Amino acid sequence: MSFLASTGKGAIDLYNRLCRLASLGTAVVSLALRPSSWALPTRVILARQIVFTGYDAIGFVAVVALLAGISVVVQAQVWMGRLGQSELLGPLLVTVIIREVGPLLVNFIVIGRSATAMAAELAGMKVRREVDVLDAQGLDPMVFLVMPRAIAMSLSVFGLAILFGVFALGSGYLFGAFLGTGPGDPRVFVLSVVGVVTPADVFNVLAKTLLPGLLTGVIAANEGLSVEGVATDIPQAVTKTVVRANLAVLVVMVIVSVLTYI
Amino acid sequence: MHDSKVILEFKGVTIRSVSSQVCGLSCIDLSLHRGEIALIDLEEGREHTPLAALAQGLLSPDQGYVFFDGEDWAQMGATRQSQNRGRTRRVFEHYGWISNLDVMENLCLSECYHSGRDLKDVQQEACGLAQRFGIDPIPDARPTRVHNMMLRKLEWVRAFVGTPDLIILERPFFGAPKADCQKLIEVVGEATQRGVSVLWCSDDVRTKECRELANARRFRMDGEKIAAA
Repeated sequence: MSFLASTGKGAIDLYNRLCRLASLGTAVVSLALRPSSWALPTRVILARQIVFTGYDAIGFVAVVALLAGISVVVQAQVWMGRLGQSELLGPLLVTVIIREVGPLLVNFIVIGRSATAMAAELAGMKVRREVDVLDAQGLDPMVFLVMPRAIAMSLSVFGLAILFGVFALGSGYLFGAFLGTGPGDPRVFVLSVVGVVTPADVFNVLAKTLLPGLLTGVIAANEGLSVEGVATDIPQAVTKTVVRANLAVLVVMVIVSVLTYI
Repeated sequence: MHDSKVILEFKGVTIRSVSSQVCGLSCIDLSLHRGEIALIDLEEGREHTPLAALAQGLLSPDQGYVFFDGEDWAQMGATRQSQNRGRTRRVFEHYGWISNLDVMENLCLSECYHSGRDLKDVQQEACGLAQRFGIDPIPDARPTRVHNMMLRKLEWVRAFVGTPDLIILERPFFGAPKADCQKLIEVVGEATQRGVSVLWCSDDVRTKECRELANARRFRMDGEKIAAA
């Protein structure tokens, strides 16, 4: 195949994949907004996925947040103090921890912990013909398998990102206080952070958690359910999920960040 | 005009073999009335048929039509198809369980999803049916942890939970203890008296000799054809 033809084929494949993801994402949101989609079994799946993706990940996210807080917050306190710009500490921490590092790391954690498991679970169901069993019982796989998982992933990423921010800032403050580099009074620190939060920051956090979380769920479901009845394809589905979800998260983060400054 | 007494109708259905294990069908005409049993004697070596999948609209015939309660599966939208499949139950020939749900959740899944009935009410009904098939209590485990023989009987339980219009039994005695087969026949008889229709695909001599199934309309697979026996 010529270079031009292979480039064209790659571009068409990418375009088709993006269209498929967009339509899946739209279908998930539209189904989630219909009360009739939320039968008891679907609500149970949503709750279980939130427990697995969100609740069970709190410990790990807390550890990562504590370490990130110690390394980022303390350094910010030290350098802002040396530069005589301590009043910029709040805006800097909100931008770095709350808007950028928190959502990014939480998205990566969720992809590694949950999206891989979800892709493998759905691929296994496809291989064992369990999706056919659901279909035969009149359970739409889109409503029962994909939608609650993607929504749960989206909500979990949002919740974990908020916790990440709290843990990171808290640990950074405490470690700074221990080293004697912090502002001292905790109220001053809290006010310096909370007082500078703008609507743009809120939009950033929402857009960098809910949207990538949804995309991650949709990508994992799509890759898992694309397996065609062969168990050896399951690891490939998991690998593709990791690569594509990480890429999607980064693209969304960059677009949202750029939009913030336009 | 649709005869409201007919729940399932195959009209000139032809389908090629969809896999190496499943045989094709040719020019099938078959109708099943409410409260009726259609017993299809499968031919040795051609036990795997696409009849159940066609009856549930999961496969589209190459030629002909399959009507469920007067509606052509091919003309229904996805939501309508799901709703109508919720009016059917099936004992699967292959592994018919959702592995990441426990057995009780599997038993109640379809009924809770479609009817919105109270979960405890559905669970009680499932427990009552399970007792009739000699299962007490229902295993508190995932299907992969349950013995195959027990799973087969639990599939019988699932088939009768709720108020389906059509029950499809694909070789339901396969892997089941002989002593319990009679119980299934009894429950099938009671269901048909309530107006439930049963499409029963069998290669088992017990269904051929069973007196309780004397009223069933019998068909025989002959190559790719199905003929009245």
